[in-house]
Amino acid sequence: MRHHPFWQSVALLLIAYVLIVFGIPMLPGSALVPKSVVLQYMLTVLVGILIWVSDDEARWTRFKEPLHAVLVESRLKTIRNGLLGALTLMVGCFTYSQVRASVAAPPNLRSIHPAPPSQLTFRGKTISLTGLENPLRAQGDMATHLATGRRVYYQNCMACHGDYLDGQGHYATGFNPIPLNFQDNGTIAQLTESFVFWRIAKGGPGLPREGTPWNSAMPAWESFLTEDEIWAVVLYLYDATRWHPRTWGETEGGGHD
Amino acid sequence: MWAINLRIAAVVLGTLAIYTLIANKIPQVQSEVPRALALGADVTPEQLVSAGDELYNGSGGCTACHGLGTRAPNITSDEKGQGAIGARCGSREPGKDCKAYLHEALTRPGAFVVPGYEPIMPDVSRTLSPQQIWALVAYLESLGGTVTVTAADIPAAGGLTPGASPGNTQSGGGSTAFAGGSTDPMAMLRDGGCVGCHKIGEEGGAVGPDLSRVGARLNAAGIREAILAPDAKISPGFENFAGIMPKNYGEQMTAGQLEALVRFLGGRK
Amino acid sequence: MILQAVADTLPLYRDFPIIGSRGAVWIAAELHLMFAAFVLGVPMFAVVAEAIGIFGKDQRYDRLAKEFTRLLLIAYSATAIWGAVLTFLLATLYPRFWAYLTQIFGASMWVYVSIFFFESFTLYLYYYGWDRWKVGRSKIVHWSLGILLNIWGTLVMFIADSWLTYMMTPPRDITPETATTSIKIWHAIMNHTWMPINIHRLIGNVVFGGAIVGAYASYRFLASTSDEERAHYDWMGYVGNFIAIAALIVLPFAGYWLGREIYQYDQSMGITMMGGFMSWLWVIQAFLIAVLFLAGNYYLWIGMGRIPGAERFRPYTKWLLAVLVIGAIVWGTPHTMIADSRELTAMGGSHHPFLGVLGVMSAKNTAVNLMILATFLSFLMYRRANTRPVVPWAKTGTQIQGAMFAIAAAIVLFYGIRGYFVEAIVRIGYSVYQVGAVLACIVFVTVIDVLLARGAESRGTIQWGKMPPRSQYALFILAVTFTWLMGLMGFARSGIRQHWHVWQVIPDTSPYAATPALGYAAIMISVCVLIFLALVGFIFWLGGLAEKSTFVEAKHVGH
Repeated sequence: MRHHPFWQSVALLLIAYVLIVFGIPMLPGSALVPKSVVLQYMLTVLVGILIWVSDDEARWTRFKEPLHAVLVESRLKTIRNGLLGALTLMVGCFTYSQVRASVAAPPNLRSIHPAPPSQLTFRGKTISLTGLENPLRAQGDMATHLATGRRVYYQNCMACHGDYLDGQGHYATGFNPIPLNFQDNGTIAQLTESFVFWRIAKGGPGLPREGTPWNSAMPAWESFLTEDEIWAVVLYLYDATRWHPRTWGETEGGGHD
Repeated sequence: MWAINLRIAAVVLGTLAIYTLIANKIPQVQSEVPRALALGADVTPEQLVSAGDELYNGSGGCTACHGLGTRAPNITSDEKGQGAIGARCGSREPGKDCKAYLHEALTRPGAFVVPGYEPIMPDVSRTLSPQQIWALVAYLESLGGTVTVTAADIPAAGGLTPGASPGNTQSGGGSTAFAGGSTDPMAMLRDGGCVGCHKIGEEGGAVGPDLSRVGARLNAAGIREAILAPDAKISPGFENFAGIMPKNYGEQMTAGQLEALVRFLGGRK
Repeated sequence: MILQAVADTLPLYRDFPIIGSRGAVWIAAELHLMFAAFVLGVPMFAVVAEAIGIFGKDQRYDRLAKEFTRLLLIAYSATAIWGAVLTFLLATLYPRFWAYLTQIFGASMWVYVSIFFFESFTLYLYYYGWDRWKVGRSKIVHWSLGILLNIWGTLVMFIADSWLTYMMTPPRDITPETATTSIKIWHAIMNHTWMPINIHRLIGNVVFGGAIVGAYASYRFLASTSDEERAHYDWMGYVGNFIAIAALIVLPFAGYWLGREIYQYDQSMGITMMGGFMSWLWVIQAFLIAVLFLAGNYYLWIGMGRIPGAERFRPYTKWLLAVLVIGAIVWGTPHTMIADSRELTAMGGSHHPFLGVLGVMSAKNTAVNLMILATFLSFLMYRRANTRPVVPWAKTGTQIQGAMFAIAAAIVLFYGIRGYFVEAIVRIGYSVYQVGAVLACIVFVTVIDVLLARGAESRGTIQWGKMPPRSQYALFILAVTFTWLMGLMGFARSGIRQHWHVWQVIPDTSPYAATPALGYAAIMISVCVLIFLALVGFIFWLGGLAEKSTFVEAKHVGH
């Protein structure tokens, strides 16, 4: 019994399920795994197990034994009937869960980095984003710009994006999704400065259609800040987090992030 | 042999079905054509009319007044036996052809108020882009007349940004606040078109709830919500009018104006 | 000027009933492309097989090549028919745009037609001359006819590629105001993505050809009645699968080059492709490629059942399977997860605090590279299973091979983990090291293996034909998945133009200008794949009708 491939497969499936559903959330700093991902992982594991039992003729024959027995042997009639009943019940429950009216909002798909426009209108002035660098890097005194950026950040952004630029500001818990964490290597570290400029200037309202549903509460800062102030705060973000903006020269494809 | 063929067909169909199902199971995003682009240089009258139709019956909010028949002329079908607007716009004002008349009526609504109606219409150029206004004109012309709006009338769409909604390009500055940014409550109530529907003191219509004593019914938060999200709570007795009040006052006012208005209305007990 | 005047009087668009213009052109173009890939991929396959037959003195390969050339004859007319349907639909449904394209590319279209003409006649000569030029020098002449056939085919594809890449990435100096008469044809052809697409498609066609050959073989295997027939088609299926998977391993690099060119041409086009509304397409792609890896390996492992001596390697395959499954899990982990509002709150956004780590480039590259290594190891075991090396340094050689695998895997893992601690710009460079390590490992290990196998003893005859039917269904899944994947990637390439006929030059103002969502695209792709496979099945069946006689003949030739 212990080395029978059928029971080994069942055991493997159960272990995988326990690991994914209960194991992963127990890791430090982790959270529950969404159902869609659990389904995806379990399907992959199931396919793997099926491949394992069927890639060898002898193992495949042994694997099928219990299934075959349950289906034909008369002494297993109770189990057969029980299984058939359980299967019918499961299909019924599944159908019910699919058609039942639910109060939860449907899952939505949101794209992390929506495509920026090639140009934008900033207070009536047209700015081309393609190949655009931060103009402040080339002019004036860096320390002054950083001081301006710092002031702008603490006057406007800190309440949500936090003292440490980690998205843990005073109001952060009020938002869903929470404000962006600039310290994370998946946010501004992945983007060009012009992209960050666009996001600050146009905020949540200016997201393109494919970026929605975004649920972004960020205002369009072009109504409150000048162009130079936004560029200064962009400088400050990169300076304070020690990330470097993505540059235009080597923006290669690749990556599914 | 047929058993094998059937099995092969089952494998092929099963694989295709799984792929199709997965691709359909994830939430669907379609990449839409940016609206403003539909009014490009080679725009046809039909495109203009359909864009205008959408605005008139949708986001433009025109039907809030035009269509109920009591507060504003019924322009789409028949106004007091005169026919639809497209048939009579050319003769409304001497010296102005249909196109010019309609455009001016939309952007300077106070200029030609039909006798018997209050001057409640807001200037639509505050909420719509020039292209959208011309689309509206085309639509109105098409109601019983011929469309004379052409691409030449439409100013080149400045800052066409593929992938960005047209709303993007005009949300700059504070210049769109109504009443010129004034915080005088009565000026705001008049200029914002509030008194077209709401009665306040002696002034105003009776489509929406009377605001003369609104402070006794609602606290400041309630008033603020009623302005910013008009359909969140409907006053008893006004259920049939739900959806009429424009939802974009929040975008038309500055925060100062909003607070001044809330304070003013809250004080009306 | 006259052309211009004619163009201006044309209606902008016409409509196609029920499925609409977009759907009609979609189906015609996709089917034309699939058949074209078939008639380009299979001749490459046939010529290589014939060469192995000539220089390796193995009659089986010669027969294989001929069998495929016969299928080509019919597939050729199917390609031409769908090409004609596509041209007809474009000219009637999108007259103004078609006029624009012909004004620029008119000359190359005539060249295209004439090359297609030459290609057809070369094919007839190649097939009908097979038995005439059978021995000695005339066989070499015959073989060079096959090479000529491939040259024509490649030229035809390059010309057609120039039209569609122009639509994607027209040269930057062409604006909506540019008069078509002033556009130099060579300038339009040499656009940013022309060469990358050429190369990508060339390799893709080899993969596709191999997969279709595999499906054909498995169909004949299942239908065969004699052991000898079964042995032949089992072997053919193995060759097809081998070629498909081997070429597949190179394909991502060509794709990477293409993606890079798109980014450099237009940043926002690149972001639309990778991060915009198409980002989910890549998760589906990952899923499909995982299916390819798993099915390909599965076929090999079952195939070990027919090789005496393969028992030695059996215990290891389950660990390779574990690597593949874990790799598939990591690769398929979405960066942005589908979750309902309760789960979103628990995760604090659509980005999982722990699994999100697996959703980024570093993890995915590592997973893919390890999967490639595992697949390569499977192949190696399969190759080695039947042999007993006789060279004196056999043991050392195997140890060196093992060390190379370990080093490659270590490099992949090291840079994968290190990628989390550096900036994007450095991290992109790391994928080059990972890929380099894997490629170097593949090349050196193969060289050692070839040397090791010199004069090696056999551990018994391989029992070709001793395969359970389920292995053949795996080949079918491979073929269906390759075809579907081709449709999906075609949608990605074409879809990033969004509402433009020619990117930022000619806008699409038809009612079908919006780019559909993935679900709609998947249905269209499935329909196309189904029509294609049904037609290919018909062609196979026709081939089978004529086959009967040759099989008996081949028996006498013996091998």
